[in-house]
Amino acid sequence: MASTNLIETHNLTKQYGKTRCVNSLQMQVPKGTVYGFLGPNGAGKSTTLKMILGLAKPTEGSIVLFGMQVSDKNRIRLLANTGSLIESPSYYGHLTGEENLQILQTLKGCPKSDIDKVLQIVRLNEARRKKVSHYSLGMKQRLGLAAALLGFPGLLILDEPTNGLDPAGIQEMRDLICTLPSEYGITVVVSSHLLSEIDQMADHVGIIRKGKLVYQDTLQSLHSHAKRQLALRTDKPATVISLLHQDGLEVEQEEGYLLIPLMDDAYVAGLCRRLVGQNISLYRVEKREKSLEDIFLSLTGKESSL
Amino acid sequence: MKTLGLEFYKIKRRKVILTMLAFLGVQALWGLWALNDPKDWELASGWMSLLYSLSVLDGIMLPTVMSVLASRLADIEHKGNTYKQLETLRSAGSLYHAKAVCGLIILTGMILAQFAFFIFLGYCLGYTGNPDTKYYLLSFVLKLASNFVLFLLQLALSMLFANQMIPLVAGLCGSMVALLLMFVSTSSFLPWGGNLSAALVRMDWNETTRVITYYYRTFSPRETVDVIFIFVWIIVFYTMGRYLFTHREA
Repeated sequence: MASTNLIETHNLTKQYGKTRCVNSLQMQVPKGTVYGFLGPNGAGKSTTLKMILGLAKPTEGSIVLFGMQVSDKNRIRLLANTGSLIESPSYYGHLTGEENLQILQTLKGCPKSDIDKVLQIVRLNEARRKKVSHYSLGMKQRLGLAAALLGFPGLLILDEPTNGLDPAGIQEMRDLICTLPSEYGITVVVSSHLLSEIDQMADHVGIIRKGKLVYQDTLQSLHSHAKRQLALRTDKPATVISLLHQDGLEVEQEEGYLLIPLMDDAYVAGLCRRLVGQNISLYRVEKREKSLEDIFLSLTGKESSL
Repeated sequence: MKTLGLEFYKIKRRKVILTMLAFLGVQALWGLWALNDPKDWELASGWMSLLYSLSVLDGIMLPTVMSVLASRLADIEHKGNTYKQLETLRSAGSLYHAKAVCGLIILTGMILAQFAFFIFLGYCLGYTGNPDTKYYLLSFVLKLASNFVLFLLQLALSMLFANQMIPLVAGLCGSMVALLLMFVSTSSFLPWGGNLSAALVRMDWNETTRVITYYYRTFSPRETVDVIFIFVWIIVFYTMGRYLFTHREA
């Protein structure tokens, strides 16, 4: 059966000197998804994406793109159906935005009308005849995205595309990325060190830590890892623990709180009444949730930035 | 061809041609000043003295000019961080090749313009007879080859180093070396000696009469090796530059 993954890496490894920047990576990007490639700075995201694009040579392992193993011979042919924006946008500052796109349109061999379409999408139509050196950073970033979109490739690889953008620009970029699979049938791989960003864009997520893929599944599945608990603080914890055990609940203790699984409202109301009835002071009843941030930190290590 | 065409498109507004014309302008000014008002004996050997003077001038100036040309072609890619995008659409080797051919075409145009101007000047000054077609054609080919060597050397440096001061300083040093080679040797065993070793006109200065006699050289086996070496340099620098460029990571 043909694979539905647009990208597959098998034991992909990159070593610089004695340091393994990417270590036996098994990445799988399903077709028609926004795949969030998440990891702290220096985790190996850019190196991985560069290897997929043939800009860095893997030390070990292989890459399968569009169902075909990438080699030096077929690399350019396979990448013809790929758009990319790696680290920072590429541009010729002395040329206008439109002229920059014309260069790439010629190289990609796509129709000239694509230039108008992509400029429209990234809202650079009015600045098309302005030299790129006079563009703001956000405009350059949008031009980079327009360049990647030329020819409406099957796969778009975006490395930290919101870097340097203002909050409005970030939101705009996110919205645009989210629409790409449904409106243009483009599979997007987007890397970021910000969990919140990936949470808002991706439907699949891969988390990389120190070159190793520590998690890979749907974002929904990552959310399901979130642990929901009820936290109680009372003046007689020992009594309450035995009471809860009688109810068949497992109780954890943490920083003066008793943690039990999240129960329905009726049970919580009944429990409160019983505790008050037994003259137990109930100081706090809180809902606790292990957030995505907690999951991310537990997967990538506490030192990671969010 | 598409990639080559784009090289010319990319240098739009970079004033590359203007830079080359500025260099020719300097040579033209020198020509108008130094060759003006020739004596009778100078008119007789005018076409030969012209070839000789151009060899000396080019020997000194072109290492720097070639470093400027190569840098103008390569730094647009460094400035805009474009290799990482271009190399997903074309192989690094073909990008390198397009730059080399683009430089060769500009260099050819520049030397053609140089020859056209100085031949025109020779006629205006009233040089005796016509330029010797055989020697002028051969000079053109050898000049092109000698300077293409310098261009390829500079291109390799400009493509590999993002900081263009490195290749530009190398070009300036090349001009110094060429100047020194005039007093030491004209061997093209060093790439900067090509313009001089390939010169077809030699000069004999009589200290007593203070008269300069120009003559077309004959090639000894040793001097033939010098000329062959120019073409060896082309292969060496092209292969080396392309290899280093294709084996680096964008």
